[in-house]
Amino acid sequence: MAQAVFTANEAREWSAPRWRPRRSTVLAFAMLAPSLLFLALFTYWPVVQVLWQSFHGQIRVGGPQAYVGFDNFLKLFADPAFRKALANNLVYALGTVIPSLVLALGFAMALARSSRVNALFRALFFLPVLIPLVAAASIFLFLFLPNVGLLDYHLAKLAISGPNWLGDPDIALWSIMALTIWKNAGYYMLFFLAGLQAVPADAYEAAILDGAGPWQRLRYVTLPYLKPTIGFVLVIGLLNVVTQVDHVFVLTKGGPSDSTNLLLFYVYQQAVENYDAGRAAAGTLVMLALLLVVTASSLRTLERSFGEKDA
Amino acid sequence: MTTTRRSLLAGAAFATSFALSPAFAQAPTEIELFFPVPVDGQLARDMAALIKEFNTAHPAIKATPVYTGSYDETLIKTRAAMKAGKPPAAVIMSANFLLDLKIEGEIQSMDALIKADGKSNDQFMGQFFDALHGNAVLDRQVYGVPFHNSTPLLYVNTDHLKEAGLDPDKLPANWEELVTTAKKLTKREGDRVTRWGMMMPSNYDYGGWILQALTHSNGGQWFNVDYGGEVYYDTPSMLGALTFWSDLVSRHKVHPAGVQAGGAVSSAFLSGQASMMLLSTGSLTHIRNNAKFPYKVAFVPKNVKNEVPIGGASLVIPAGVEGERRKAAWTLINWMTAPEKSGWWSRATGYFAPNKAAYDLPEMKEFLAKNPDAGIAVSQLAFAKPWFATYKTVPVRKAIEDELAAVLSAKKTPKEALVAAQKQADEIMRPYVEQTALKLPTN
Repeated sequence: MAQAVFTANEAREWSAPRWRPRRSTVLAFAMLAPSLLFLALFTYWPVVQVLWQSFHGQIRVGGPQAYVGFDNFLKLFADPAFRKALANNLVYALGTVIPSLVLALGFAMALARSSRVNALFRALFFLPVLIPLVAAASIFLFLFLPNVGLLDYHLAKLAISGPNWLGDPDIALWSIMALTIWKNAGYYMLFFLAGLQAVPADAYEAAILDGAGPWQRLRYVTLPYLKPTIGFVLVIGLLNVVTQVDHVFVLTKGGPSDSTNLLLFYVYQQAVENYDAGRAAAGTLVMLALLLVVTASSLRTLERSFGEKDA
Repeated sequence: MTTTRRSLLAGAAFATSFALSPAFAQAPTEIELFFPVPVDGQLARDMAALIKEFNTAHPAIKATPVYTGSYDETLIKTRAAMKAGKPPAAVIMSANFLLDLKIEGEIQSMDALIKADGKSNDQFMGQFFDALHGNAVLDRQVYGVPFHNSTPLLYVNTDHLKEAGLDPDKLPANWEELVTTAKKLTKREGDRVTRWGMMMPSNYDYGGWILQALTHSNGGQWFNVDYGGEVYYDTPSMLGALTFWSDLVSRHKVHPAGVQAGGAVSSAFLSGQASMMLLSTGSLTHIRNNAKFPYKVAFVPKNVKNEVPIGGASLVIPAGVEGERRKAAWTLINWMTAPEKSGWWSRATGYFAPNKAAYDLPEMKEFLAKNPDAGIAVSQLAFAKPWFATYKTVPVRKAIEDELAAVLSAKKTPKEALVAAQKQADEIMRPYVEQTALKLPTN
């Protein structure tokens, strides 16, 4: 016993100079070095550049970049197009994430039991996920084409003339939202399918014995068990809403009259069309800040719901 | 044993290739050409064939064509390459971006190169149609060499004219005739329109150009050709043009409401759901190859006078291209814009050839005899003016295009829209104006 205590003490003494990197640490960093290098080059360095750029801008037309303080941010918030993009993004977020979530849950519950027919339907609903967003947007360009497009073609058979799907400022954003829901619902379904496997069968049995109807089972059994999944899908969905604008680029370029302009597309416009790298960088930072807040709060809810289930 | 023999053979081949290749003594100057393809995929292959021919004819230069997407994407990629310190030696750039690029110091004047060839700027530009000078010569210096150009054109489905009892040889020449014809050509089933008399594209980029054509046809100017800080949005000529377009939609009901993309307009025309349209001459080959009915083209109908803006692209040399690379780029640019190649590209695309001499070549005369519609596009050039270009061209154009969309969707009256567009455009151009026209001696 004493021997053991002694050796333990000796060992502690021996490892006392903590500052000296342990061999395993050195090895770990050596192995991480290539990834770290690329991460630094392609992630952290650009972040630093964006930060720098957001406080710089052209003072003289055609001149070099100079320090302008918070000027870029002030101009950003004063720009009605930016506020419009922010508002559009909010509508777009609510109008795509919630319906896709509900649809995905519906699909998943309908197709939860494994059978050949269900496997086929799962594949069908998942299909849009496999198509790149740019390609999907190009397909929808034909669907939405006025007069000759697929939608108007079939509406014409019913003697209805469809609206100008992408050319009417009141409708264009909804058309784009429809495409987004079609594209994402299948993807979220996958997470719900996995989540549903984790709901124990005896919980349902108990609920049925207690005389719970289908709605009550959904409300008091399925949904509580799915809470972590919902939280996770919510985060993914919100990230998609901010980071994916390929379809806006292909279908409307933010028009008509900025009615489909989203934050990321606005940033693109500032950088490319307006040559205003400073305002684009400021817009990027505001967008990133929003994303961080959304993600952090969602993840906290997620953790809390995990905790609840354990308790 | 076999390996030895194979390596011996390879070594021999290697040695002969050294001996035969004259380029080995002096490495060829390598240059890159960034080019957009605004029309379709086949053209990217045509460009590769063109550059291959150039390289064979010029062993001292090795040019590589780099496909860079649309006009806008080409601008982005050129800027990115310049920031990385590796500007391409030559770029085919949308003609209305040149002023912006010059203001930002991103392209270089070609005056020294022209002088070295023993020509004056006027002599050099004299080989191109006059209408193209405004977008290429800035402050009396040559910044671009016109490569392919276009104007808006009226396309008419003549079967529809006959069906409506109209003379298929008499196309609308003024706004009055355009409206009466469009009314006769529009077909309705109850409230539903099954065929539109007239369609014009109004998406970003295209809409501004078409509105400029209507403004010029109405006697207007749109912008100050000599100074990049002024646009004339809130003017009577523009009010007339915008009201005319809005009337076609809401008063005469011969044109669909809301924004119409260029592709949607040409599809509607090709499928017989639109009888007339204003579209670029650059679409001529596409329409010719796909129309299953007889069609005719005519000048853009006028209200006050026949006048349209040009469109298209010019070859530019980015700032920072020096020495041998600059000379090589200049050789390439002159080769590509010479009559023979200019004419060949024109026949492949539908754009007209900027080089006047291209139309004196026998193959071009034969082509025009076979396709008289291409000839009409060229004759409209006599009435063409420079394309709209100011400081920050794209946002200044977007200012009016957003308002145009609002008017076509009946959200604003033309007057309200023009006042708003003028205000926004002035706001965008203010930094430039303050540092140029309003920069006055203070003491």
